[in-house]
Order: sequence, then structure tokens, then C-alpha cells
Amino acid sequence: MTLLRAYPTAWRTRYGDELAALLEELDESGRMTWHARLDVVRAGVFERVRLGGLPPRERAREGTLLVVYAWMLFVLAGFGLQKASEHWAAATPANHRGLPTAAFDTLVGAAGIGSALVLLGVALSLPTLLAFVRRGGRREVHKPIVRAVAISVLLVGATAALAAWAHELTPAARNGHDHLYSGAFVAWILFFAACLFAWAAAAATTARRLAFSDRLLRLESILAAAVCASMAVMTAATAVWWGVLASTVPSFVSPAAPNIVVPTSLMLAATLLGLLGVTCTRRAAFPSP
Amino acid sequence: MRENDPPVLILTSLASGPKHGYALLLDIEEFAGVRLGPGTLYGAIARLEARGLIEALPASGRTRPYRLTAPGSASLESTLAELRAIVDEGTARLRAWVAA
Repeated sequence: MTLLRAYPTAWRTRYGDELAALLEELDESGRMTWHARLDVVRAGVFERVRLGGLPPRERAREGTLLVVYAWMLFVLAGFGLQKASEHWAAATPANHRGLPTAAFDTLVGAAGIGSALVLLGVALSLPTLLAFVRRGGRREVHKPIVRAVAISVLLVGATAALAAWAHELTPAARNGHDHLYSGAFVAWILFFAACLFAWAAAAATTARRLAFSDRLLRLESILAAAVCASMAVMTAATAVWWGVLASTVPSFVSPAAPNIVVPTSLMLAATLLGLLGVTCTRRAAFPSP
Repeated sequence: MRENDPPVLILTSLASGPKHGYALLLDIEEFAGVRLGPGTLYGAIARLEARGLIEALPASGRTRPYRLTAPGSASLESTLAELRAIVDEGTARLRAWVAA
């Protein structure tokens, strides 16, 4: 039944037949209204969002992986923001630098903490990963890892070529006046994003096969929540930084507005995605009594 | 919990015996006048089952009846007691207001 496609597979496996039978009965009795159809789709989307139908351990794992994807999105936004924020201090009068400097330092500090937490999460899972590899699990995750490595190698080549090109250009040409270079730069960003998400997908495929202990899963859930908190702090700090600069140095912000709006929107989207992951993780790893 | 929360309605319906999805919908509509959507019904069933408040009986064909568990019965009793306290208080206050 088409309506049931709104539900996640795990949920459909458990309740799909029963719900399909109910829908058929409603249809036969003439009670299958548009309201009922919409209700099924709405509930299906809701179950997808809350990873419905998965056992608590799997939900905790999937929630944590959602935070990993959110972090990757955030890293991508961070690179965009880093580029847009170049020379902001020089463009700001000294007597107006206090608050934006504090916001920017908070952003950089939270980025450092978030990165350290992600690395700690990876480090904590290393023994489990090594045990998996020793058991011959490498073959199971060979494909996504090879794909990520291949994209990374191509990215290194593309980066070197772009850097050599940029070296031949004037600063003005590098900053938007050479449309061909700008197009190549946007293509490089997309390539970079593909590389990040190839690694995130490889990590997710591997993590789904690892036999995490309950304690480790809990620990990873806590780290995921902390990473998400660092993303929220960075997003807030960016908003403050941007807001103050927009009011005090509009000449710096206005030409760069799209370069700031896009990364900031991505940061907000990533934070919301991370929050969703943390919600799933917390509900699964720390169920209410 | 409110009196028209799907979980409360489902637990109340199952208090008179096991029922499958369609029977639950009809029963709830009859005693509460609430027409639950099929997605809402099964969303609530899944969460009640996950919390151990109801349990599935062996399937008959493609339908599967559900029944109240002991924790489900205790949960319903506690919810009804809370609702009863509100009903009693509300009734008393309303009577006093009418008499004044």
C-alpha cells in the first residue's frame, strides 16, 4: 500500500501488515476519508523523524550517527564562514571590536571543543573497530571506504590545481571578479562536501556493524549531545558576530552577505539535525522509567 | 494525560478485553465520540507496546489483537484517578458558583 511508504522500514516490518489490514477495512466500510489518509502520512513521517520501529540500542546508534552527519554539515558551513570572515577585524573600527571579537573567539573555542569531542568519540570506538577488523569485518565495509579514499585523492588533486590557479590571479580576481575561477571554486566546495559525506557514510556503514557495549553506546550518546551543544553555541556566536558587524560595519557585511547567510543557515540546519539526533539518542539510551 | 489522549482512549478500550485495530477505532468512537486516525492509532499502539503497557496477542490473519498488561492497567488506573480528582474538583466549584 502506497501510504505505508511514509513509514520507516523497521516500523513497517512490525506494524505494516496490521495497518494495511486496518486501512482496507476502513476502505471497505467507506470510512477511508482524506483526513484518514493524511493522518497515515503524517504519522509515517513522524515515525521516520523519531526513528520509529528501531530497538532502543539501534535508535541510540542511529541518533549518534545523525549527529555525525550534522557535524559534517557544520564543518562544511564552518569553512564557508571562515572564508567570509577573512579580514573582518581589520575592517572594524577598534572601538567596535569588543563584542564581535568575544563572539568570534567563542565560535573558535567551541569549534575546538567540538572537534576534540568528535575525535574523542572516534578514539573511544577504536578498540571495537579493531576487534571488528580482526574478525574479518573489513570486507563488509570495503566499498564505502574505498569510495571515500578515491574521492579524497581526487580532492587533493583538485585542491592543488585550484591553488596553483589562484596563485596566478590577483586578489580581486580570486574574490569574485574572475567568473571562471569563482565557478571552479564553487565546484571545489561541492567536491569537498561530497568528500566529507563520503567519509560520514563510510563511518556510518562501519558503525552500524560494530558491536558497541551498552556503556560505550551511552558514552557516545553523551558525547553526541555535547557536540550538538557546541554546534548550538557556535551558531549563536555566529549570529551575534554577524549581527554586531552588520550594525557597526555594514560596508564589510553587505558585499559578503550571501557568503555569510549561506554558511549561517547551514550551521542552523546542522544544529537542528544534531538536536534531532540527540533527541532520538536520549530517548533510546536513557528511557524514562 | 488528557481524557482524549489516544493512549488513554486505547487503554480504556482494552480494559473491556483484547481488540485489534479496527475494533479499537469503533469502540473508541462509540464510548468517547472520538474518531482516531489510523496513523494516530498505530503510533499510539507502538508507543504503548514499547512501554510495556499493552501486549500483542498471536495474529489472526493480518490483524493482531492487543491486550492490557498489568503495568498498563496500573497506568490507566492512575490516569483515571487524576482525571477523577479534576472532575470532582471542577464539579464542586461549579456547584458553588451556581449556588452563589
